[in-house]
Amino acid sequence: MQSPVTRSGIDWRDLLFGLFLVAVAAGALIATHKLNVGSAADMGAGYMPRAVSLGLLAFGLFFCVRGVRRAGLAQAVQAIEPVQLRPLLAVLAAVGLFALTADRLGLAIASVVTVVLASLATREGRLRETVPFALLLSGAAVLLFIKVLALPVPVWPR
Amino acid sequence: MDLFDNLLLGLSTALELNNLGLCLIGVLIGTAIGVLPGIGPIPTVALLLPFTFGLSPPGAMIMLAGIFYGAQYGGSTTAILVNVPGETSSVVTCIDGHEMAKQGKAGTALAIAALASFFAGTMATIVIAVLSVPLSVLALKFTAVEYFSLLVLGLIAAVVLAHGSVAKSLAMVLLGLLLGLIGIDVSSGAARMTFGVAELSDGLDFVPVAMGLFGLGEIIANLERPAERRVVSQSVRDLIPSRADLRAAFPAMVRGTMLGSVLGVLPGGGAALPPFSSYALEKKLAKDPSRFGKGAIEGVAGPEAANNAGAQTSFIPLLTLGIPANALMALMIGALMMQGIQPGPQIMTEQPKLVWGVIASMWVGNLMLLVINLPLIGLWVSMLKIPYRLLFPAIVLFCCIGTYGIANSLFNVWLMMGCAAIGYFFIKIGVEPAPLLLGLVLGPQLEENFRRAMLLSDGNFLVFLSRPISAVLLGVVALLLLALLSPTILRNRKAALAESS
Repeated sequence: MQSPVTRSGIDWRDLLFGLFLVAVAAGALIATHKLNVGSAADMGAGYMPRAVSLGLLAFGLFFCVRGVRRAGLAQAVQAIEPVQLRPLLAVLAAVGLFALTADRLGLAIASVVTVVLASLATREGRLRETVPFALLLSGAAVLLFIKVLALPVPVWPR
Repeated sequence: MDLFDNLLLGLSTALELNNLGLCLIGVLIGTAIGVLPGIGPIPTVALLLPFTFGLSPPGAMIMLAGIFYGAQYGGSTTAILVNVPGETSSVVTCIDGHEMAKQGKAGTALAIAALASFFAGTMATIVIAVLSVPLSVLALKFTAVEYFSLLVLGLIAAVVLAHGSVAKSLAMVLLGLLLGLIGIDVSSGAARMTFGVAELSDGLDFVPVAMGLFGLGEIIANLERPAERRVVSQSVRDLIPSRADLRAAFPAMVRGTMLGSVLGVLPGGGAALPPFSSYALEKKLAKDPSRFGKGAIEGVAGPEAANNAGAQTSFIPLLTLGIPANALMALMIGALMMQGIQPGPQIMTEQPKLVWGVIASMWVGNLMLLVINLPLIGLWVSMLKIPYRLLFPAIVLFCCIGTYGIANSLFNVWLMMGCAAIGYFFIKIGVEPAPLLLGLVLGPQLEENFRRAMLLSDGNFLVFLSRPISAVLLGVVALLLLALLSPTILRNRKAALAESS
């Protein structure tokens, strides 16, 4: 698969990955700064997190620099394909909705709403088809996970 | 005969009724997800991991292994009939396999693919059995120092030999290691990066991470592409190949098996690389290379044998040294740890029933797959008619229930949601998530062995070089990294990977 090629000198793939790594490394360094680092012979809880975060930080900076300075290179820079919000939001929301409802409303209802919401991710879905399908899946899920595999999850609202 | 005794022990384990049943379930699920494009073995194994908790260790591993090699069989069915690879490893099978189907020889292509897979599976089982013994003898000499070096070698080699940019993969390994450090530090009891979340004190659960990154992230990215139109029009006849077909395919099967067995053992290998190499080899050896791409039977037999052999021999580093060759094997390590078995070089001597049971079950499983695939082909074809718009909400739901079910923890579902978003981000910026999973699973062991080695040597880093086995292992790491910097290899690797992607 060939992505479109841009002529602006910035390699956004590199730059975004670099920024992501820098952010994670910085977060980890801040979160662990109070831990005892110790020495190599007697490592404290903070030794490995510090070492790994610093390595990550170095990688992050490297990708940032490489991303910005690709301009002079002959290599073509691959652009990122545009983000489509519909599938992204629908799938994430479906998972979130499951997390919100599974405990309170039980697996049967949570399954139906999760499947219906997830199928909104594509324009092809038709409610006439998805709703019966969701009911079917919900029944199958209850049978499989609660009756057969004995998961300790409530079936109905409590 | 040590080897013979071991195989006998393995067979007696694999043939226990329970384990036969689990093996059958594994290969059935494997074939199903292999046939269906859009869901791979990694999220499936992650999804089923929690349910293996109640099984015996050999039973659990036998079932999970069955999913992996079953998926390789199923992937080729889709490749031949619909020209869509069911798994990445069956991309090559599309080329000549689908061409054969168009010429009305779908039955022959399917049969040859299944026979080649079975032949390769059988041979690879023998390779595993033979190679395991010397490796495990070597492994007995391992202390924390050697094990640390081995872990480093495993991680680096997996990165160098796998797809994608090496620098990015190395960064992903580090990211995985960092995530692996989350939780209560075992020796000091200090909470690390738990941000006050009680669920994180036992460490980050890798099941929701794997399902989010590999399962859901992939679904979101798949949905952005225009829907494919699958045409499964023709009926499958003539499942028994002719003598001439067999004669043409057999040498390719043998070569594919050998190539696959070797490439599978290498870290980063597994099922993806061997078929491409085998296809290239067959094309080079053929008297008339122009037949390739127009339904050459060798182009189906060789790669199919190679991918199955590779899938199976990628278990060797796991079963003998406790080192995963790819992301899926990392999940297997996770499965072992859930069973309370510490993966590592001692695993062969301490768990012979487990190791040899899994090895023997592979052959049993391959036999089952042959039976499942050929006569039941109609069932799998009808599965292909399920449209993706119905399939993906079902996968989303099962991922949710599976993650929730592991520890009855809603936190894991939220974690999976976050990982799905990050997985999508990684796909968008073209970063391979597999090394992260390796780092995450191996992180705690890496730290523990590093700590122990440093404690033994009183903080002297030279200990890794002064011990011979460790020095050799690190030497290989250095060679791998140096080789990467050399311009010719860099060019060849780029060409090889470009061809395969």
